[in-house]
Parts: sequence; structure tokens; C-alpha cells
Amino acid sequence: MNKQIFVNLPVKDLDKSKAFFNALGYGFNPQFTNESGACMVIAEGSIYAMLLTEPFFKTFIDKPIVQAKEATEVLVCLSCESREEVDGLVAKAVAAGGHTPRPPQDHGFMYAHAFEDLDGHIWELVWMAPQA
Amino acid sequence: MSKQVIFNLPVKNLEKSKAFFASLGFGFNPNMSNESAAMVVIEKDKISAMLTTEDFFRSLIDKPVAQAKEANEVIICLMCETREEVAGLVEKAVAAGGRAPHPLEDHGFMVTQGFEDIDGHLWNLVWMAPA
Repeated sequence: MNKQIFVNLPVKDLDKSKAFFNALGYGFNPQFTNESGACMVIAEGSIYAMLLTEPFFKTFIDKPIVQAKEATEVLVCLSCESREEVDGLVAKAVAAGGHTPRPPQDHGFMYAHAFEDLDGHIWELVWMAPQA
Repeated sequence: MSKQVIFNLPVKNLEKSKAFFASLGFGFNPNMSNESAAMVVIEKDKISAMLTTEDFFRSLIDKPVAQAKEANEVIICLMCETREEVAGLVEKAVAAGGRAPHPLEDHGFMVTQGFEDIDGHLWNLVWMAPA
């Protein structure tokens, strides 16, 4: 297995979703971005999200699309470098029209929070204390 | 520390799902596994899937759990190192009770095929010729 992963998620309005994730600080790879999909860089060379318009996403599956505001199939969990990065991303997501489904969880050695994007996809953010 | 991603996916029967991913050749992180969840290591310290019982998954969200055999929210796409790895993984997935919704697509410089795991979650496998 190679070191790259692409998380394909359906979105209602590609431009609005791009603006949302831009506001969180994520960039896009123009080579893999067009009017049907946008390649969001989470970690260069390893982790990407493909935001796909619903009609384009539909071409890849033989089932209906889950309306993520109504039901959840996946939680995409990203590691963060600090507690501040966790809180900062959630604050930016809420300011950009997302929402947070719950308060942060502070376990001392681990700090987690989450946001829901414009389409209802849930992103978990976790900071873990470096191992002693 | 490099960025890590973990996909939390709800499963109906944790033991069966563990057996499914084990038969595809994936290992597990025992430190992050218990009776409610099992961590499948896709790329060590970088990419993992957390197979989570539906009950536990539900405790993490404020919405219903999507039934992935009926509708999908996500397609997880993994890059493979060879053309053979793409077909090999799909073959193992089908043999282990999964499903291949589409035939293999061979575009010469790129080969792709997907499989559905035993809970209906979609995995797409892609090999691309080195640039």
C-alpha cells in the first residue's frame, strides 16, 4: 500500500464547500480540481479529501447518497499538533457556517473536539500528548 | 509528528469485520482495540480505520447511523503500489464476503477498482503509473 489516501465526500455546492475549507486554512490542488470535484490538501503527499458534487459522486456508486445532515456513515478524524490547533479549527469552522456537535473532551493526555461541515460531514480533531 | 487520519466506520459485527480486513492482509493495532472498536492499520502511524460497533459509533454522534448497504456518505480511496495489488485486494474482499460493484477499469497509466466491505462501506483502489 502506498502512503496516499483520498477521502471522497459528496457536497451540495462545490464553491461554498471550497470556501468553507479555505477558511479553515486548507488549500486545493488545481491539477485535480474542476467543476465536479476539488482536491483538498490535508497533508501534502499523504492525505487528501476529494469534495465531489453530488451528481459526480453518484456516478461512482450504485446506491443513493447519504444526506450527511441526517445520518452519518463516517467520522474523519485528523490528528493535530496542539490543543490550540484543535480549538482554532473548530472556531474557524463555526465562523464559516459549520457547527460543533458537542463540547471539547479534555482527558489531559488527549484533547478532542469536532465540527460538522456545511454538508453535515463530521470531522474529529484530536491532539495527543507526545509519548514520554 | 506527521498528520494522521483515522476513519471511524460503524460495523454490525466487530469480529466478522476484523476477520474481513485481516483476510485482506491488514494488521491491527491492539493498543487501540477493545470490545467496541478495532483499529485497522493501513499505513503505520499515518492512515488507519477504526471499526466501531454501531452502539459505540452512535454514542459519538447526534444523528442516526447511516446504513452503508443502503446509501453512502464516503468513498475511501487508497493508492496501491502495483496493478496486481488492486485486483488482488478486490479478489480477497469478494472471497471474504464483500462485493465488487464495478469491473476493473484499466486506463493504461491508471488502474482502478472498488470493493464494498461486509457493512457496505466503499473502498476504492487506484494504481497510477509513476509520473
